[in-house]
Amino acid sequence: MAPILEVRNLVKNYGSTAAVKGVSFNIEEGEIFSLLGPNGAGKTTTISVLSTLLAPTSGDVRVGGHSVVSEPMKVRNLIGVVPQEIALYDDLTAHENLIFWGQMYNLSGKTLTDRVQQVLQEIELADRAKDRVRTFSGGMKRRVNIGVGLLHRPRLLFMDEPTVGIDPQSRRAILDSVKALNRQGMTVLYTTHYMEEAQELSDRVGIIDHGELIALGTQNELTRQVGENDALVLEVGEGENVRQLCEAAKSIPGVVESDTSGSTLTIIAPEAEEILAPVIVQANALNVKIHSVAIQEPNLEAVFLHLTGRALRD
Amino acid sequence: MKKLIAIIWKDVILRFSSPSEWLFFLILPVVFSVILAGGTGAPVDSRVRLVVTDHAQSPLSAQLIAAIEETNSITADVLPQAEAEEEFEDRQAPAYLIIPAELTSEAALNGGVALDLRLLPNNLNGVMVEQTVNTAIWKVSSALRIAASSVEEAERIRPFESEAQRAAYYDAALQAAQQEWDAAPRRMTTVEASTPDQIDYDPQTNSSAGQMITWVIIPLLGISGSFVYERQIGTLRRMLVTPTRKGLYLFSTILGNVLMAMVQMALLVGFGVWVMNIHWGNSPGALAVLLAATALAAAGIGTAMGAFIKTPGQASGVAIMSGMLMALLGGCWYPIELFPPAIQNASLVLPTRWAMDGILDLALRGQGLQAILPHIGVLMGFALVFFAIGVARFRYE
Ligand SMILES: Nc1ncnc2c1ncn2[C@@H]1O[C@H](COP(=O)(O)OP(=O)(O)OP(=O)(O)O)[C@@H](O)[C@H]1O
Ligand SMILES: [Mg+2]
Repeated sequence: MAPILEVRNLVKNYGSTAAVKGVSFNIEEGEIFSLLGPNGAGKTTTISVLSTLLAPTSGDVRVGGHSVVSEPMKVRNLIGVVPQEIALYDDLTAHENLIFWGQMYNLSGKTLTDRVQQVLQEIELADRAKDRVRTFSGGMKRRVNIGVGLLHRPRLLFMDEPTVGIDPQSRRAILDSVKALNRQGMTVLYTTHYMEEAQELSDRVGIIDHGELIALGTQNELTRQVGENDALVLEVGEGENVRQLCEAAKSIPGVVESDTSGSTLTIIAPEAEEILAPVIVQANALNVKIHSVAIQEPNLEAVFLHLTGRALRD
Repeated sequence: MKKLIAIIWKDVILRFSSPSEWLFFLILPVVFSVILAGGTGAPVDSRVRLVVTDHAQSPLSAQLIAAIEETNSITADVLPQAEAEEEFEDRQAPAYLIIPAELTSEAALNGGVALDLRLLPNNLNGVMVEQTVNTAIWKVSSALRIAASSVEEAERIRPFESEAQRAAYYDAALQAAQQEWDAAPRRMTTVEASTPDQIDYDPQTNSSAGQMITWVIIPLLGISGSFVYERQIGTLRRMLVTPTRKGLYLFSTILGNVLMAMVQMALLVGFGVWVMNIHWGNSPGALAVLLAATALAAAGIGTAMGAFIKTPGQASGVAIMSGMLMALLGGCWYPIELFPPAIQNASLVLPTRWAMDGILDLALRGQGLQAILPHIGVLMGFALVFFAIGVARFRYE
């Protein structure tokens, strides 16, 4: 079966800013694909082109075999979009918002009212349906924002950082509902800069940085790139010496990579236990306080560090 | 079609979600119309009120009062002295005439009886009353003089045989003299005052029409505010990833605003008819077409302004400023004839001028669709040109 989404050499420039620099990937029907990347990597820009909002500078994007450039209306019928910024009418109720957007997706009559009820159940806001969105908490608004993208049961759902800025409980609920939607057969393209989310949700992951797709594959395929390395994660007191410790760690035998982000020092090595002692010695020598030590099996964070030399959350 | 209605309905809910919108939609226009028209109700009796105490109660005093009222610029109320004095003291009437008991024909003829006319100080109407009363005295006494001298003349030719015959002759002569007087041209008729000549002006109609235009065009000029708002909150971007054409969105939003303006105008016209007794002319159809064209012209300009508007606040600020200015210079607040000729000519580039002229042509000058076709044409021209600019320069991002 042909992939539901095909992206070929996608380039998007804003004037002289190159936001996306030749990205290619496919998404198969039924999978959850995560686009993982730091702020400004080009995730939103990519989704904007994929969802027909922006025209690509060059390259080719097809959804269900339809070009986003020449057949945007056909594409729009297949896709649902959950934008990164909440896009709702504050002065309409949740119910009125859903009815309105359902109509924009050509739903009407009983189908429309049924779908709206269904979505209200899914986002667990049936009891607040008649309240204006203005009166909702951030998490509730996020849920309505997602609900709007689900009304017409799209085959392919784009979700652009849907968990930004909300409490852990709402975040949990959203991640669970993404999995539930996927079980019902919906294909999902999910962007995030949280490694954990990509790790929990996705079948395949694309890592994007500075407008380029620097890695693409299943989580196993990606972590294999870093080898069988572990990550030694140290929480240290902040200060000048942390940078020095980071540099010093690189000269310890067996250390592959080392980077700091705020008060976190991440050191990659084949066997974390073996470098733990020398790192502590160095820390003492540089007078760096260690608050906690954790050893992580290879993960996407490590992949990103390995590929870019930077931590994901810079 | 369903989408069109959905978009319009959404805009209606958004607009009236704040209760203060009713203030601008209906309450303020109505209040301003009423205040600027100087009150509601049937055409006001603009005659000057004169209170009269008639101590004489003679045929002559009755004639005098009738002669005063005949001038149709004064209404005379005959009251007992106490009552009349009170009214005058309370400034209920600017003038008070006391006719002394001695006013019989002889006394008047001798010219020995003085009428007592009291006037409020610094009241222009007083001067007019004084002249009117003098004219009336002269007129009444003239008829009497003519009758008396006729009797004298007749007696010189052939003496009367009896006093009864003499009296009958006098009465006949007086009647003839009065008839002559009545047939003679009026000495004093007043014309409703208004500054320059030839202004068709009616306070109720002018203020209602002017306020209606003002309050209707302001939200339409601010139409780009709703585009900017939707761009800002991201709903425009969301709209553009649904299977909805850009043109349909733009068209529906504009149409919705124009329809809301039409409803607003219908309510204000209705208020004028039922509360302020305004006659909007003989052609409701022509009025509807004219008002629709006015709304379209304002909506066109509002859409074009979107090209340089960046925030909803800016949109409403610019709409209020430009709307008020256009209303003022278009003759919506004061008759355009009061402006210097240069401004009168320049105001022809404003849709408000054409709208106001058109309404007054219908309402005050009793004209029909034919007469206001040029107005409708010009307004539609405004609409076409500005919509073209606005749509061409519309920014979705
Ligand atoms: N409208 C725009 N005009 C000019 N440059 C833009 C515009 N939108 C984004 N950019 C630039 O394009 C690059 C990619 O931005 P984009 O929003 O796609 O990143 P992102 O991965 O979604 O980031 P975030 O995680 O912060 O949402 C950035 O350098 C950004 O500054
Ligand atoms: Mg983004």
